[in-house]
Amino acid sequence: MDREALAVAVSDIVLRHLPREASREALEGVVADMVRLLESQPFLEREGPGARHVVFTALGRNRTGIVHAFSEVLAELSVDIVDINQTLVHGNFAMMMILDPSGSPVSFEDLRASLKRRGEEVGVLVFVQYEDMMRAVNRV
Amino acid sequence: MTYTRREILETLRMTELEHFDVRTVTLGISLLDCAHPDPSEAASRVYEKLKRIASPLPAAVNATADDLGIRVANRRLSISPVSLISTRCDPSAYLEIARAIDRAASEMGFDFVGGYSALVHAGFTDADRALLSSIPEALSSTSRLCSSVNAGSSRTGLNVDAVRTVARLLKDTAYRTRESGSIGCAKFVVFANAVEDNPFMAGAFHGVGLPEVVIHTGVSGPGVVCEAIKRAGSCDLRALEEVIKRAAFKITRVGELIGRQVAGRLGVPFGIVDLSLAPTPELGDSVGEVLEAMGLERVGACGTTAALALLTDAVKKGGAMATSAVGGLSGAFIPVSEDATMISAAREGHLSLEKLEAMTSVCSVGLDMVAVPGDVEEDVLAGFIADELAIGIVNHKTTAVRVIPAYGKRVGELVSFGGLLGDAPIQEIRTLSCSGFVGRGGVIPAPITSLRN
Repeated sequence: MDREALAVAVSDIVLRHLPREASREALEGVVADMVRLLESQPFLEREGPGARHVVFTALGRNRTGIVHAFSEVLAELSVDIVDINQTLVHGNFAMMMILDPSGSPVSFEDLRASLKRRGEEVGVLVFVQYEDMMRAVNRV
Repeated sequence: MTYTRREILETLRMTELEHFDVRTVTLGISLLDCAHPDPSEAASRVYEKLKRIASPLPAAVNATADDLGIRVANRRLSISPVSLISTRCDPSAYLEIARAIDRAASEMGFDFVGGYSALVHAGFTDADRALLSSIPEALSSTSRLCSSVNAGSSRTGLNVDAVRTVARLLKDTAYRTRESGSIGCAKFVVFANAVEDNPFMAGAFHGVGLPEVVIHTGVSGPGVVCEAIKRAGSCDLRALEEVIKRAAFKITRVGELIGRQVAGRLGVPFGIVDLSLAPTPELGDSVGEVLEAMGLERVGACGTTAALALLTDAVKKGGAMATSAVGGLSGAFIPVSEDATMISAAREGHLSLEKLEAMTSVCSVGLDMVAVPGDVEEDVLAGFIADELAIGIVNHKTTAVRVIPAYGKRVGELVSFGGLLGDAPIQEIRTLSCSGFVGRGGVIPAPITSLRN
């Protein structure tokens, strides 16, 4: 089931249970939260090429504007940021994003090239890979 | 987050800092349908089939590796044992096929093709004899061809006549390739209990029980295991096995993932993952270093065999949990010349051939990439091989010998092959005669444990 189909299914359930007078905003908020929750559950196997997420990691010296630099590229390419996390490891900056490229017009190769190029401009190391290896290595 | 920060960073550490790669993606191809009474026709059929089937492999492997963010060190081919491609039973006929294979491999950019092989564990066919006598010429006149002979099995015993033939052809090959450190011998393996789905060179061949075409992968990752052991600190041995199992699990998962995706791209079945820890001469990619990280002063110390037994067992257990397609040799390789720590242990005299022989009774293969003086007697070489194969036959495991009797070299010298084959220190081999034994010829019958039905 891809993201859109999941959202429709969740909406159906919510509509069945919520009072008729619930506002459209409330409905959308509940659906979005539930879809995000479901998607973040690692035990749920994702199937189909549409749902194949990409793991994007940037490592380097901490400085301002790194997250902005990359989210700008992603917005231009219409790549959805499913999740984002950042931390400092021994004074170095580490940012990890889970991306959903299914709505983007560009190929995986072009997405990777764009992020690598931006990484060089900003001066951080960039790793872009489909999530397959993360799943294979970290999940039984 | 779908994956925790730690999981993502640990996975990147494996691939970026700990030399983790998939050692080989090997495409197995049956060439049995290339048989023709006219050797030229058989050779051109072999050439055409290899080109047709194998050409898309490098691009498929590269695309998969890029998608997943993992390096694949080698792309290789394994082919049906060439002695089974029936043609005129004459060494020159098989040489023609050898050259066709080498030419196809070179045009497609494969560094090695395994399968210039004969299975003679219970005797020779006329084709086997023709192929065997062509091996020295084949190995010295091609650069990418790898050859192997299966000279014994737990079911049929040890064909000592084959072992003596091998000793003779090794000496001949060493002489013919003397200008480059007798490198021809580095591309030849003699086996007991050879497996049909081994993806690693030089002993790979595409067994007769396999499908028309199949993808196998061979994983590697001594660096990952070594770093995990170092991080574990001074835990006890049961905990150490657990640490190695976990690392082996991760390594194997990636091997299977790559194999399945490449197979999917090519539209061919996926075969097996070979769970072997395979070293390279690069620093930090050494099985010897893993053994030393386990607590040995140097490889070759007392305790080395026990440590290797634990390591091999843990790799198998972790790997078997990670995939249901285990095959090949699966264990730990201990090639001397291809492992920086083993090379220095051998050069410093800590690692004798006898200790290596003991180690091979608990690891996956055998006496691998060892060099001995070029003036070693043929029968001594035959005895050396027979000893190693007997260990495999009696213990129902694969054992093999890849020995280089380096022409013109003496104990203490070094022979350099470069690249993955590395540098082999010439090691001392006992020169006492065994001619009275191996010279009897014939077959050492199968052990009583072969009667299992």
